[in-house]
Amino acid sequence: MAETAPKPKRELPKSRQMVNEMTAKVYADAWEAKRRGEPVAWSTAIFPLEVPETFGINVLYPENNAAAVSAKHYGDGLIAHAEGALRYPINICSYARLNLGMADKLRDAAFDGADPLMPLPDLLFLANNSCTQLMKWYENLARDLDIPIFFVDCLYRYDEGELEPHRIAYGRGQIEKLIADLEVFLGKKFDWDRFLEVQKRAQINTKLFDECVALNSTKPSPMDGFDLFSYMAPQVICRGKEITTAIFEQWKAETLERIASGTTTFRGEEKYRVHWEGIACWPNLSYNLKTLSSYGINAVINGYVTAWSLHYEPGDLDGMARAYQTASTNSLSTQAIMDKRSKTIEDYACDGMLCHVNRSCKLMTFHIFVGREMIEEKNGVPVANFDGDQSDGRVFSEAQFETRLQAMTEIMAERKRTEGVK
Amino acid sequence: MADVKALLGQFEAMAADPKALMDRYIAEGKKVVGCFPPYTPEELVHAAGMVPMGLWGGQVTPSVAGKYNPIFTCSLMRSCMELGMTGAYEGLSAVIMPMLCDTYRGMAGAWRVGVPGVPLIAFIHPQNRTDPGARDYLAAEYRTVAERLEKMTGAQVTEEALQKSIDVYNDHAAAMLDFCRAANEHLDVVGPVARHAVMKSARFAEKAEHAALVRQLVEQLDALPRHAWKGKKLVLTGITAEPDSLLEMFTAHGIAVVADDLAQESRQYRTPVPAGKDGFDRLAGQWQGRQGCSMVHETRAERGQMLVDMAKETGADGVAVCLMRFCDVEEYDFPYISRDVEAAGMPCLCLEIDQSTQNNQQNGTKIQSFVEM
Repeated sequence: MAETAPKPKRELPKSRQMVNEMTAKVYADAWEAKRRGEPVAWSTAIFPLEVPETFGINVLYPENNAAAVSAKHYGDGLIAHAEGALRYPINICSYARLNLGMADKLRDAAFDGADPLMPLPDLLFLANNSCTQLMKWYENLARDLDIPIFFVDCLYRYDEGELEPHRIAYGRGQIEKLIADLEVFLGKKFDWDRFLEVQKRAQINTKLFDECVALNSTKPSPMDGFDLFSYMAPQVICRGKEITTAIFEQWKAETLERIASGTTTFRGEEKYRVHWEGIACWPNLSYNLKTLSSYGINAVINGYVTAWSLHYEPGDLDGMARAYQTASTNSLSTQAIMDKRSKTIEDYACDGMLCHVNRSCKLMTFHIFVGREMIEEKNGVPVANFDGDQSDGRVFSEAQFETRLQAMTEIMAERKRTEGVK
Repeated sequence: MADVKALLGQFEAMAADPKALMDRYIAEGKKVVGCFPPYTPEELVHAAGMVPMGLWGGQVTPSVAGKYNPIFTCSLMRSCMELGMTGAYEGLSAVIMPMLCDTYRGMAGAWRVGVPGVPLIAFIHPQNRTDPGARDYLAAEYRTVAERLEKMTGAQVTEEALQKSIDVYNDHAAAMLDFCRAANEHLDVVGPVARHAVMKSARFAEKAEHAALVRQLVEQLDALPRHAWKGKKLVLTGITAEPDSLLEMFTAHGIAVVADDLAQESRQYRTPVPAGKDGFDRLAGQWQGRQGCSMVHETRAERGQMLVDMAKETGADGVAVCLMRFCDVEEYDFPYISRDVEAAGMPCLCLEIDQSTQNNQQNGTKIQSFVEM
């Protein structure tokens, strides 16, 4: 077989380059702050970061970090360290195993066995709106590193409908206490005027992010749906910063341009559009992407990116408390989640739903098991599951993924033939 | 001694067949409400004039639960789902479920579609317990549980009834703690299986009835001469220590259980409901006081040290972590509690608890090694 020259790597769009630069700067700033002796925090991904942003604290995000480390294939050694020397059972979340492994390895200042590395934290920000495991994970970090946790307990919403006043009051009170506690910890007064500005900025960015994501409902899509994962970082880690506005404006302009010119970042012809349910398989992202493309399937939307749709009126602490309790669909009942998914499937004209049975995330998996019937019944589209993990590469099987994809594709093709689905 | 054995037999019968107990209560014209473990405030059900019964799964190989439960669902919850879907809980007027972990977050949805005949009342505890609003929040949340219970069953939860129910439960908890004391003075009579039966039966039986029976047992035990146990002694920690065949291995190896930190057992009794004028606030106060449990957030969790202290106070030779299969909250605690116990110079066994199998071979090997140490 004749050797073929390697394909030249596509140049990243300017907005993606801006994301990468922003992320690199956030890490560099945190390391620099650490060197200066300033406090560095680690935070769960959907924490009311408007508060630490107002205080000017350097914050890094272990979930975001674990995803990046896994995508670069540096996760295995850290996970092995957590399971071995640190005794963590294999059944707990792999983001947690990876991060607890990293936290322990970072005690050795010379450790360079992963990328990107975070400086060890001096304090922790915890919000449990994604799951309960976060709380257990951070308890272990706090104990091992002997540092405080600043906690905003975001109550799981087991029923549908509006939040009751006692939930809002508890949420609001915690945000107020968080501010008061940080004033004591940092020895610094809270600047409420700046807080309002940060809240406004976070709302501008959230609105822009939602608009950019919604552009992918255009048919055919201007983006490969997996691109959405790449634009999450600014919204997760720099929601309250101006740089995020610049990135999202650039992203929006590029996407509108693609729509106008009929171009797309999706590789190949978009034959089928699916909703991707769950977190990405970061260690297998490239394989997933290539395989989906080879079947002409664009995962145009996913439920993960919408978790940061934190809408509230700046200055309204009740609204902020409500937003942080309900933005992540992990905080909602299966029925409420599936109502949202059903609408997305309709809005994005999806032909099917591809569900990542994520070994690390019991919560999302439960919702898939219970919710798939709801989607099949309401939307009449096929739902396929595959096994995988967000960071632990041992769980995913390429063969199973492709087999499930094939079966789903056949059903989608059949529906197009017989039911005239366009 | 014959009386003690007869009494223990009664506890064993209740623990072994909660369905029979439920059928009896229903036949007596009472309404029964299932309470998912471990921290559903049964007092609310009791105050409504109904019988709260714990739902602790059972040794069952799931055949249908997999439709709504991933394979890595906590073993206890998977059994509950199986029993629910196969009709074992028919007759319950409702179930109450505390959202204490991720499995519960999923189970609420799964229960609604999988067991539609038994209505669900869910609620959630506050985990940021140092926040001044946490207790008020929980009192309000308990009021919504009572309201939903009233709406569903037509029963009423009055303040007077709630205060009386709390008294019944506090009295029962005191009786259970006294039983633990008496059991340790008679480890020749109250072996691991019998101790567990007394503790487990309390999760199903009406509390005043159970407390009376426990007091009879304690009286009988106190009348016997104290026994100096010569064998090994263990402290158990985890969600449950089952099945009986596991506990029989302890007996076979001359090991006594002298204390426990099991969710099904002593965690139920070590935190009394505080005094107060408002019953809902009192129940919220109990949650605020809970310590050393994997389902309760603590900024500086001291469960490891608590186990070390328990072992020292009871003269135990070690601690056995009874790790419920796929129980993530317990799995997160295992590394540090095992390190703390070992740092205190004691062995820490890790036994796997799986309700879907009777095979205890691996656990047997670990117990054997512990004895030989």
